[in-house]
Amino acid sequence: MKKFWKNANGRLKAGMIITLIFLIIGFVVFYIPHTDPFFNNTYPRKLAPSWEHPLGTTSLGQDIFWLLVEAIHNSLSIGLIVATIGTVAGVLVGLVAGFSGGLTDRILMVITDTFVVIPSLPILVLMTALMRGSSTVILLALVLAMFAWAWPSRQIRSMALSIKERDFIQTAWFSGEGTMQVVVTEILPYALTWSLSNFMNATLNAIASESSLAVLGLSPGNLLSLGNMIQWARDRNAIFAGQWFWIGSPIVATVLLFIGLFLLITGYNDYLQMKRGR
Amino acid sequence: MRKLLSLLLAVTMLVSLMGAAFAEEMTEVGTPRRETLIMETQIPTDTPGQFNPYMQGTSMGFGNHQLLRAMMWEMDTVKGEQFGEIADGFPESNADFTEHIVKIRQGIKWSDGVDLTAKDVVFTMNMIKDTPGIGASAYYNVVFKSIEQVDDYTVKIVTNEPFPRLALRFGVTIWGNDLRVVPEHIYSKVEDVTTFKDSEPVVAGPYTVKSYDPLGNWVLYERREDWQYSSVGVVTGKMPQAKYVLVKALGDDSTRQMMMTSNQVDIMVEVTPEVLETMKAQNPNIAAWYSDFPYATSDDPCSKGISFMMAKAPYNNRDFRWAISFALNFDETTMDIFDGVGRASPIPILTATSAMQELYLKPLKEYMASLEIDLGDGTTAKAYDMDYAKRIGDKLRAEGRDIPTDEAALEDMFGIACYAYNPEAAEKLLIKAGLEKKDGKWYFEGEPFKINMSYLANTEAQAGRGLISAYNQLKQFGLDCNLVSESSATWDSNAALGNYEIGGYWPTGGITKDLYSVINGYDADLIVPVGERGSGQACRWNNARATEIIHELAKISPDDPKSYELGMEFMKIAIDDIPFIGFHSGVKFVPTNSTYWTNYPSAENPYNGPWWWWSCFKYILTEITPAAK
Amino acid sequence: MKFRKYFGLRLVTWALTILIGVTFIFFIPRMFPTDPVENMIGQIQSRSGQMDPQEMAALRKSLRVQFGLEGSLWEQYLAYLWRGLLHFDFGPSLVSFPTPAGEIIATYLPYTLFLSLISTLLAWIIGNAIGLLAGFRKNKRSSKILEGIAICIYPVPYFLVALILQIVFAYLLGWFPLQSNINAMGGTAAYLRSLFRASFLPALSQLLVGTGWWIISMKSLSAATAEEDFVQYARFRGLAERRIGASYVMRNSILTQITALAMSLGGAFNGAIMTEIIFSYPGVGALIQKAILQSDYNMILGCITISIVAISTATLIADLIYPFIDPRIRYS
Repeated sequence: MKKFWKNANGRLKAGMIITLIFLIIGFVVFYIPHTDPFFNNTYPRKLAPSWEHPLGTTSLGQDIFWLLVEAIHNSLSIGLIVATIGTVAGVLVGLVAGFSGGLTDRILMVITDTFVVIPSLPILVLMTALMRGSSTVILLALVLAMFAWAWPSRQIRSMALSIKERDFIQTAWFSGEGTMQVVVTEILPYALTWSLSNFMNATLNAIASESSLAVLGLSPGNLLSLGNMIQWARDRNAIFAGQWFWIGSPIVATVLLFIGLFLLITGYNDYLQMKRGR
Repeated sequence: MRKLLSLLLAVTMLVSLMGAAFAEEMTEVGTPRRETLIMETQIPTDTPGQFNPYMQGTSMGFGNHQLLRAMMWEMDTVKGEQFGEIADGFPESNADFTEHIVKIRQGIKWSDGVDLTAKDVVFTMNMIKDTPGIGASAYYNVVFKSIEQVDDYTVKIVTNEPFPRLALRFGVTIWGNDLRVVPEHIYSKVEDVTTFKDSEPVVAGPYTVKSYDPLGNWVLYERREDWQYSSVGVVTGKMPQAKYVLVKALGDDSTRQMMMTSNQVDIMVEVTPEVLETMKAQNPNIAAWYSDFPYATSDDPCSKGISFMMAKAPYNNRDFRWAISFALNFDETTMDIFDGVGRASPIPILTATSAMQELYLKPLKEYMASLEIDLGDGTTAKAYDMDYAKRIGDKLRAEGRDIPTDEAALEDMFGIACYAYNPEAAEKLLIKAGLEKKDGKWYFEGEPFKINMSYLANTEAQAGRGLISAYNQLKQFGLDCNLVSESSATWDSNAALGNYEIGGYWPTGGITKDLYSVINGYDADLIVPVGERGSGQACRWNNARATEIIHELAKISPDDPKSYELGMEFMKIAIDDIPFIGFHSGVKFVPTNSTYWTNYPSAENPYNGPWWWWSCFKYILTEITPAAK
Repeated sequence: MKFRKYFGLRLVTWALTILIGVTFIFFIPRMFPTDPVENMIGQIQSRSGQMDPQEMAALRKSLRVQFGLEGSLWEQYLAYLWRGLLHFDFGPSLVSFPTPAGEIIATYLPYTLFLSLISTLLAWIIGNAIGLLAGFRKNKRSSKILEGIAICIYPVPYFLVALILQIVFAYLLGWFPLQSNINAMGGTAAYLRSLFRASFLPALSQLLVGTGWWIISMKSLSAATAEEDFVQYARFRGLAERRIGASYVMRNSILTQITALAMSLGGAFNGAIMTEIIFSYPGVGALIQKAILQSDYNMILGCITISIVAISTATLIADLIYPFIDPRIRYS
């Protein structure tokens, strides 16, 4: 770990620190007991920041700090669920396509290409508009995951194609290991290191898609996410009323989280390149 | 060099300043700004250039029924009385209300110079009756036996059943009416009136279409040269002051308010109080009904609250409904909706507009104050909290608002009462209604009890916020709830089919003294099983005496003194049986901008309500005058 | 010969992509319990009051035909492919009934294509130019700053950039209209001027977000290429830095970026939707938003079908241009 930190470049370090802070807010601070910030009129309205309310309160008497903490928790959770499903599915499809080749490969790749090419937002809009009323967080995550697997599977496939030719695979093959075993023992670890950056990218995309949907008023009405938090504040005219902490905190959080994840991705990729001896 | 530059700069500035002073300001559609009233419409139209009111998809609110169309009977929204617009006075009916003589006003001309006569009225009504593609056709066939012309200015209408409310049903009471008379000499030559676009409409109202945006964002209307012969000219003799009216869709909330504060629009439809307050802070010319707090008028005749689907247990149980009422703290609800603004409308079905408050709510005050609900354990609880107006007044005054202390003014502002908040009574009533509480969770018939609460997303902030507030409070009270946001299409069909449990629907009204049109939808005979589509009775309230009253009312004239007594009795039954929990009357923040135009209707000058989207807007236009330069 | 095979393969992929996408959106609405016909009847009824049962049954029947809901699922699917995909006939718009949804979309589509294609291409060109410079001269301070800015703008949500631009340039400074009104009634000059004024801010906001991504990706690409042996070799040969940059580094990295451009069109379209909504720009995005508000499913379906076709076609065109730029391509 120490060595890893020493070898890490500046971006990776900055990215790790920012991301870690968000993970702590979302999954540690979140569990400190607090009043449910979703409920209105818990505190006086429109308070300025103070020790008791570090970011003040909303026009509905909710504590902004805890709203933000829960929003980060929920958005990160959605992002992680989507990224997990997307990456696992993507890696599987990519490996199957890459290693089986032939017709299976062709068919899988056309489907994958379709999902890479078609604009996702209109379809997400259609699905969420239809789900109105029955939409829940899990359902939303599943819908978002539909568009999260295509890109990694494309990447993994091309990687699988190049690995297939490499020596160590050939050696394993010759020494009598079955294809399945080769994939699990030799290739999966390799693919997983690589798909880590894809995972982070998928997290980022999922959070962005959710907030786009929220701005269109299509995110579930009782889901306290970063996107919905922005939307609710907009709904109460926080921008023009100058309630900067209310509208600003989810925006700043979103942007910071994105920058953090982004630095992490690029830094990690550079790190991998360097490790491979470049 | 620098000197020369600064000189050049000064000259340019001077020239451009002078240019601005001399050149008249123009709108983006090329009309002089000072002669153009710019008003907002909520949604751009997908059918630009389509003005035929009988083709589906025509946006009537895009200036069409406000400026182009004349109605049979229009509404004086201040008095709550109708007056004849195309009709000359009210129908004269025979003793059993089956034959009606309607006189037509003389002197109105269509915008192409042809006289508007009984022929046009008879043609229009028969056209609706005989064209199945027009939505109201089936209903016209149910009601009318025949519509005939007697002479140029007399129409004889025969109805199948006694029909004492011809003017109320086929004239305007709220917003507008389906019956918009069209010129016989044009529409009779059209092959199929349901597909005729009518891009250059010939009209009886005071404006005609000058041009429109092929992309559907705006329509420009121009005052008729012969406005004296338009319906408004003949009825009032007054000229609508604005030469041009530009009706325009403005986009999302942030764009709308920026357009308003930068004087690019004069009147808007409806905003939230947050938007109004920030706009007022940036531009002193912007005002609403009251120039200061509470800004909004509470006289829109649709009260908002929560509605129960009463074909299903336990929602069909009066005790359960009262329990929900006791679990809700109206002081919180009102802050959640519009920061305390709005007149409480604490009775089902009827809205506490100023007129209705005087006519019905104040006389019912004693009854409400003494109403006690049996909690099932030998105790009772007061149903109403009669101190609401004073309490909320004190609270808002403490927040720095300018609130009157006079009792009458407080009652006008905040209503005569609100539903009492009493969580203990709520628990007892829930138990009385057959629910059980185990480990802090509620069970009904052995199953965990969960309420689905639905609201209409994106529109109607008042109704949506009210329901979300109720959801919030019921959850805190300990009832398990699920919040369901719906889009407009599923919203309507879920209501008709009964696919809801508690909804933010507003099956309310109240504009005329005669309550028939407000309450006739609560006829128990209209109830159909859940999953089937009936006409009226979305909430499926089954009350025998209420139904009897509706049937009795149907047979008597709205002017009969008995109509008021029956209405009063109906309200007592409804209050006791609580099919709907009313929060506020329709609270509307309707902003106006007095930079270019003044004398909008307001609390100081209430010659009409601020209802730009109603068909009576053409009468308001005769009073809106240009601002001094 | 090889080219023809490449061409044919791409064409097949294109057709399959559209087919799969369209099949997908055909089956989605049918998985949900919402019935568009019941909703439509609800809306007609709430508009016109009473309706007797026979009338309602007749209306339901005729609506089911118009909405393509008659017959088995398979028949419906074929009918939908036939009408929707080959004739762009999506049935009547629910709100503007009986005007066909396809007719309305046709009015708005050109504006979306104009806006998103121009801003995507501009973003691609500007972003790659900056990225190339930054990557080639990796250790210069200016390139680090440029990259820093790009990293900070790129993750900002589309609607936020749009909103900030709108507040600053249209509201506070008043240089551009708050709302995208296009004057289609006046002459050509007036039309073009209003089109430019209306499109400037929406395009700029897409440009800002889009450029960031191209800077970042081009920089890392060209930085990698600059380290390659043949570039090093060129340096040894004493070629001018500028020439190396232009002919060696750029030509090699730009190829990857062209593929990436084709792949990014879908994402650019997502951004266009958000931007159009903020500026109420008269395009398909604003149409989709309005259709959601009013639950006009035929309209939503039509918009999505057309955007899938448009985006896949644009991708196809980019794919077909590719061999002309890179002669080495193996047509695989």
